[in-house]
Amino acid sequence: MDRPRSDRTTGVDRRTFLRRTGLVAGAAGLEGILGARRAPAYAQGTKLHLLRWNDFVPACDEELRRQLGEAGRALGATVTLETINANDLQPRITSAVQSGTGPDIIMLLHNWPHLYEASLVDVSDLAEWQRKDQGGYYSQSEAAAKVGSRWVALPHSIVGVQMAYRKSWFDEVGQTTWPRTLEELRLVGLKLKKNGHPIGQTLAHTFGDAPTWAYPMLWNFGAAETDVTGRSVLDRKETVDSVRFMQAYWKDACDEGALAWDDTNNNRAFLAGEISATLNGASIFIAAKRGADKLKDEKDQPLWQDILHGPIPNGPAGSWAYHVAFSHGIMRYSKAPKLAKDFLRWLAAKEHFGKWFEAAGGFSVGANKYWEEHPMWPKLDDAMKIYRTAARVSRMFGYAGPPSAKATEVYSKYVIVDMYAKAVQGMGAADAVAWAAGELRKIYG
Amino acid sequence: MVIERRWKKWVFFYIPLTLFLVGMLFPFYWMLITAIRPDAELYRSWRNVHNTPFWTLHPTLDHVQDLLARTMFPRWLWNTFFIATVSTGISLFCGLLAGYALARLRFPMAGTLGTAIFVTYLVPPTLLFIPLANIIRNFQLGDTPWALILTYPTFLIPFCTWLLMGYFKTIPKELEECARVDGATRFGAMARIIFPIAVPGILSAGIFAFTLSWNEFIYALVFISSPERKTVPVGVVSELIRGDIYFWGQLMAGALLGSVPVALVYSFFVEYYVAGLTGSVKG
Amino acid sequence: MAKHPRSLVPTVGAAPPIEVALPRPRPAPPWRLTRCLESERLLAALLLTPAVVLLALFIAYPFVMGVWLALSDASVGSPGTFVGLRNFVKEWNDSIFQTAFQNTFFYTFWATIFKLTLGMWLALLLNRQFRGMRLVRASMLLPFIVPTVLSTFAWRWMVDPTFSVVNWLLYSLGLITNKLPFLSDGRWAMWCAIVVNTWRGMPFFAITLLAGLQTINPDLHEAASLDGANSWQRFWKVTWPLLKPVTIVVVVFSVIQTFADFQLIYVLTGGGPANSTHLLATYAYQIGVATGLLGEGAAISLFMFPVLFVVVWFQLRYLRRLESA
Repeated sequence: MDRPRSDRTTGVDRRTFLRRTGLVAGAAGLEGILGARRAPAYAQGTKLHLLRWNDFVPACDEELRRQLGEAGRALGATVTLETINANDLQPRITSAVQSGTGPDIIMLLHNWPHLYEASLVDVSDLAEWQRKDQGGYYSQSEAAAKVGSRWVALPHSIVGVQMAYRKSWFDEVGQTTWPRTLEELRLVGLKLKKNGHPIGQTLAHTFGDAPTWAYPMLWNFGAAETDVTGRSVLDRKETVDSVRFMQAYWKDACDEGALAWDDTNNNRAFLAGEISATLNGASIFIAAKRGADKLKDEKDQPLWQDILHGPIPNGPAGSWAYHVAFSHGIMRYSKAPKLAKDFLRWLAAKEHFGKWFEAAGGFSVGANKYWEEHPMWPKLDDAMKIYRTAARVSRMFGYAGPPSAKATEVYSKYVIVDMYAKAVQGMGAADAVAWAAGELRKIYG
Repeated sequence: MVIERRWKKWVFFYIPLTLFLVGMLFPFYWMLITAIRPDAELYRSWRNVHNTPFWTLHPTLDHVQDLLARTMFPRWLWNTFFIATVSTGISLFCGLLAGYALARLRFPMAGTLGTAIFVTYLVPPTLLFIPLANIIRNFQLGDTPWALILTYPTFLIPFCTWLLMGYFKTIPKELEECARVDGATRFGAMARIIFPIAVPGILSAGIFAFTLSWNEFIYALVFISSPERKTVPVGVVSELIRGDIYFWGQLMAGALLGSVPVALVYSFFVEYYVAGLTGSVKG
Repeated sequence: MAKHPRSLVPTVGAAPPIEVALPRPRPAPPWRLTRCLESERLLAALLLTPAVVLLALFIAYPFVMGVWLALSDASVGSPGTFVGLRNFVKEWNDSIFQTAFQNTFFYTFWATIFKLTLGMWLALLLNRQFRGMRLVRASMLLPFIVPTVLSTFAWRWMVDPTFSVVNWLLYSLGLITNKLPFLSDGRWAMWCAIVVNTWRGMPFFAITLLAGLQTINPDLHEAASLDGANSWQRFWKVTWPLLKPVTIVVVVFSVIQTFADFQLIYVLTGGGPANSTHLLATYAYQIGVATGLLGEGAAISLFMFPVLFVVVWFQLRYLRRLESA
């Protein structure tokens, strides 16, 4: 082989060789070198990036975008809104937190404030201001956004879930008022199913519909995942009773294909007349109203006129709900935390939030009790009026302990949902509970 | 050629081929029908008497119009095309050079390096995307197409390298030796003699790489945030699912229109693609 | 053929044979730059640099970081501390992980078998001249071209629990009275996923095997049939042995992709119902991203790596034996 003759040749060779062998150790250095060659690409404090989900009610997003323009002028900054599919929020948050760059304010659902607590700016002052301005928080909103005594996110709204049902079909089987207890619901469902109008409830790994049913199932029977100290107390008689009820309810009243439904299936099934009732946000009613000319019932009347809402009926321990609490978190890596705080305060001001609240038409409610008295409520359709006070009975998962990261692990592993899913697929109630309790123990220790 | 009887032709050829075609293309037909079906029909119960799932008497272009007007779909098409083309270019470039080096040149660690490149193909993207987010940040490439253009080659280069390596291995060495004796440099021989012969292989690798870039989802989801910079898979999924409603008509229209550019590329090059692997795949 | 340093890399694709003229002696040019490029080592280093740099930066380095993550208890926002193999042990004892692990093998195994047999069959069918050949070949590639996310949505719609067209068809034909639980039952859902994966991956097999088939000299077939062999025997004795190398290469690629598959399951079932269709990739995602336990998510992802390595290593060793035979 030819030998390199010139020094330059050797130099090239050595450098390349060094670069290749020192690759792993040197890569960090390499990055640093290349990174430093670029000038900082951002200016300080004049831009704010807000990340939210695609609101189900498009009018809300439109109103929000309009408000952003106004807010920008008021605060002397540019605020941009990005909306993505709710399921895609978490990977974005994860990569933003890990890479230390991304949107300044991110919408947080469920108990994500607890999950990402280390990356969020303390907003206790803002939260206190909002409490004074707009009345007490719903316990769910507070539990979701507060870690210990620190507020890490500012509660924004709650999407309530209720059971939507077809009034005419319920009347047909003699149930002229919404069932008061779960047992009544099961018996009504039995008759409805015989008429070919079963109740639809999913027990799959969905973002909203499955947990919003499964957790209240526990609570309505007096069962819970943990006690106040955070110790797992799932393995109890109340839990087994709850599972047994679910098994009977499933067989008697539910559409058994619904096991695999995602969050959109029950909407479609209801609107197509396949099921008579389902637990959902107000999106079914709103969609029916929006498409009044296209969505008709069997008598060719607009479907929305036959839809009413009712809360999850009472179990032995009352009627509870798991609504979805939304809040806004300011990320620690943000270059404009003060601006972000000012913006959130601006957004939460009564005159601004009020407009967004009206655009939502009951689909989302405020996180504070003030909004129960808003003049919008009497003007809404009867079916929507129930959402006014629905958020009062809502709890966070992880109850009765704090909605910590461990509770999130239980939630995102769908342990509670699967407990019911396994039971309705044939596992014995006690076995299903034992399995779930085992999983909980692994997580809670 | 082997002689066949007519009935044999039907049973063993036409019928299976038709079944294959139907099986492979039915979902596209389905996408098409869903994209032009009016909403009222889309949400009809399956037991409804008027249900005609396989055709519609009221085709509508509403969904397509909605897709093109309300979302930034044309922009996404362009973004995806740009990203796919440039990352394919980079991967082909790297793969060509690396493939030649590994196939033709003797140097220490050749075997190890070849294996190492192969091994990188085994690393799952679900592991990589979080550490990669860090690196993208350090280079300040977040939310730019370059974040994808530089990360896509990570799963494109190994494949391109192998394909072209195999190609080069079967080109007789005498060709280069001859050229060098004629006065060409090693580099010149490589560039002017060998590479032109490998064009079919390059095209094959290029088409495959283009397809993989076009289809990629998770990196695009994580590294790009502004709506106007999104790629087609991410954009369609994130804009056309609102809360708990899927806009099936628009989704399917997006799926179809989103495949058109790639299909066009293929229609031009499919013969090269087959030829590139053809007459050339040997043990 | 010159000898090359042995590596575990498969061979695919090659140029058609070319005629070579007799060499004529001439002096080499004296330029310095070109002289240094004469060195094989130097040239190799230069040629390999772009690929190596890119891969090192964007795979090797993140991979090392990923391994570090797996050995720590990092969660989103907190860097975590070194905990050794604790994550791996925890996952190994996790019942959902075990399901995901089994599912991944099951899914990969059956999908690959189906893709191979159907792809081979299709390749054999297409290995002849007929009218509309180009159109058929081009349209056959469509499932491969459409972005996975979007085509899987189409399938979702087709086997939708409420509105499935397949159910409608079977119901109209009187073959069923109740809806088939395509996605509601764990095992049905897994098979649905396998069907979708086969649908999507078969074109790749078919096209590559077709290319391989077209290199087989038709004279061999002539000779065999003159010897009295029927189609089946011709396939096994003539076609298959010559096709083995390319088959193995295609299978290797496919196994790697299928084993690490994420998008299909994510869109089709999300891992449900009741965690029964999770694959390692989707479960790793659920733990790492949805739950925020980055360390554990990384550990789950890493389980894939050695398994793939072993599987692929065996296949490539077999291939090398074929090559040298």
